[in-house]
Amino acid sequence: MIFNIDFSKLLQLFTYQEGDPLLFSTSFFIFFFFTLLVLYKIFAYKKSLRIFTLIFFSLFFYYKAVGDYFLILVIMTIANYYSGQILGSLKEGTGNRKFLFVLTLVVNLGVLGYFKYTNFFIQIINDISSGHIDALDIFLPIGISFYTFKGLSYVIDIYMGTFQPVKSFRDFSLYMFFFADLLIGPIDRASKLLPQIQSEINVPRENIGKGTYLIMAGLFKKIVIADFIGLNFVDRVFGDPTRYTGVENLLASYAYTLQLYMDFSGYTDMAIGVALLLGFNIMDNFNAPFKATSIADFWRRWHITLSSWLLDYLFAPLQMKLRNLRIYGTAIALFVTFFLIGFWHGAAWTFVFFGTLHGLYIVISVFLRKPKTLLYNKLKLSNTKLLKFFQILITFHLVVFAFIFFRAFSIESGWEVVGQIVSFFQAGVFMQFVNAYPMIIILMVIGYVLHFLPESWERWTESFVVKMPIVVQALLLTAMILLVVQFKFAGLQPNIYFQF
Amino acid sequence: MITEKFKKVILDELNLEDFDIQDDTTADQVPGWDSLNHINVILAVEKAFNVHFKGIEVLKCQNIGALQNLVNSKLEQK
Repeated sequence: MIFNIDFSKLLQLFTYQEGDPLLFSTSFFIFFFFTLLVLYKIFAYKKSLRIFTLIFFSLFFYYKAVGDYFLILVIMTIANYYSGQILGSLKEGTGNRKFLFVLTLVVNLGVLGYFKYTNFFIQIINDISSGHIDALDIFLPIGISFYTFKGLSYVIDIYMGTFQPVKSFRDFSLYMFFFADLLIGPIDRASKLLPQIQSEINVPRENIGKGTYLIMAGLFKKIVIADFIGLNFVDRVFGDPTRYTGVENLLASYAYTLQLYMDFSGYTDMAIGVALLLGFNIMDNFNAPFKATSIADFWRRWHITLSSWLLDYLFAPLQMKLRNLRIYGTAIALFVTFFLIGFWHGAAWTFVFFGTLHGLYIVISVFLRKPKTLLYNKLKLSNTKLLKFFQILITFHLVVFAFIFFRAFSIESGWEVVGQIVSFFQAGVFMQFVNAYPMIIILMVIGYVLHFLPESWERWTESFVVKMPIVVQALLLTAMILLVVQFKFAGLQPNIYFQF
Repeated sequence: MITEKFKKVILDELNLEDFDIQDDTTADQVPGWDSLNHINVILAVEKAFNVHFKGIEVLKCQNIGALQNLVNSKLEQK
């Protein structure tokens, strides 16, 4: 026999393997995506076939990530679709309509809560009552936090009367299943994606260049920067902070902040790029977050689709409800929103602490808003570069401080990192560190410099790539894949946001 | 159609000298009208026209024209 194919291994590729989802940066994904593109091309003039192909591939993609639990996605899709249909047909202001709306919210949040938070609450009950209820063996299907929010935005918009229910279950299914933003977002909105599915699906020439550019940028961010500094530096320090000096703990905190950004925004870039190649514009999630001049500004630039979701569907109604309390009402609504942003990330005290910290930051800034403006005006600092510089510096460090607890194994361990920085700094170790781990420092500098470059430079690079002939783009992509392979020797790291 | 009084209430609340507000202008296009200030604008409008909005009525407004219509409908009900 010429080809000695091990069919059991081949079968493994097409069946669910625990902890082995179809990451955008795996070779099997390239095969998967290439096959999809070929079929897409064949069905260029048959919209329905294109959509069904995408639905089929998306379900397979999700099955590879969670096995039989992909059925939850299917069931929630059916439930939200029919709820939307009925809500759209009932008269506004009726009791039935309100009841169905609340029921849909409860079902969506109940399913999310069951899979994500049951054991956390069991543990709290155990701690309070010093009793012992056994933890349940619950599998957390990745992506559930993201697609629950996607489904909810559809239903809420219909209830509010700002979006009409879609007639086609096929189109709605693609909105919910679409593999590009299924696992870790961006959390797309029905009002943005569904009209694109309903209209003619085209892939203009510009999409190809832009998509290729974003996939290259994403690969670089995720594998060359995030995975490398994560595995070779951040994991070690955060694994046992007290074994390292304050300098190393501080550098690891900066490194983790960069790693999280490069990891998550890198995956998002790839998701947006992949979607562009299929003719869809999905929402962006990041806008140079460390250039933020305040914590509020940071959340307008970081994980934008999550923060804007909570802003529209939680903060705004809450703020409206509490409006008679004026600034105090706004403060309460903000604190609740940020507390839940923390809790959304996972059932752990570290995330609750992270959310609470950001809640406190933002509440304090609300009360300082007026006095700060007066002070800046008095000192003639308003709109000066000096002020902006310090605002960015302070905001960045507040963000880094909160991320220490986001990363740490426990709140105590987070305080250990802070403790080492404050009481055992050992500045002299810095040069030793640079000499011992030049690659870490180089990658951190590259990462932060790239992030802080003017936006116009990135636009220019992007349009430069877009204008290149396709052959050159393909060569560039190949070169990037080769570079990435060089860095992958350390093993492929799952995306940090998979756990949420 | 945005009335002069309605426009003035908004501009005063946001400390703006002048800004062109049309029916299809959205809050985020107006300088200073961000998510934190939003509630102050709504309260100022309620006070100036002596009306009371339900939360959901305001949340449904997709642009400033819709908010103007909401005020008009409240005034007609009086």
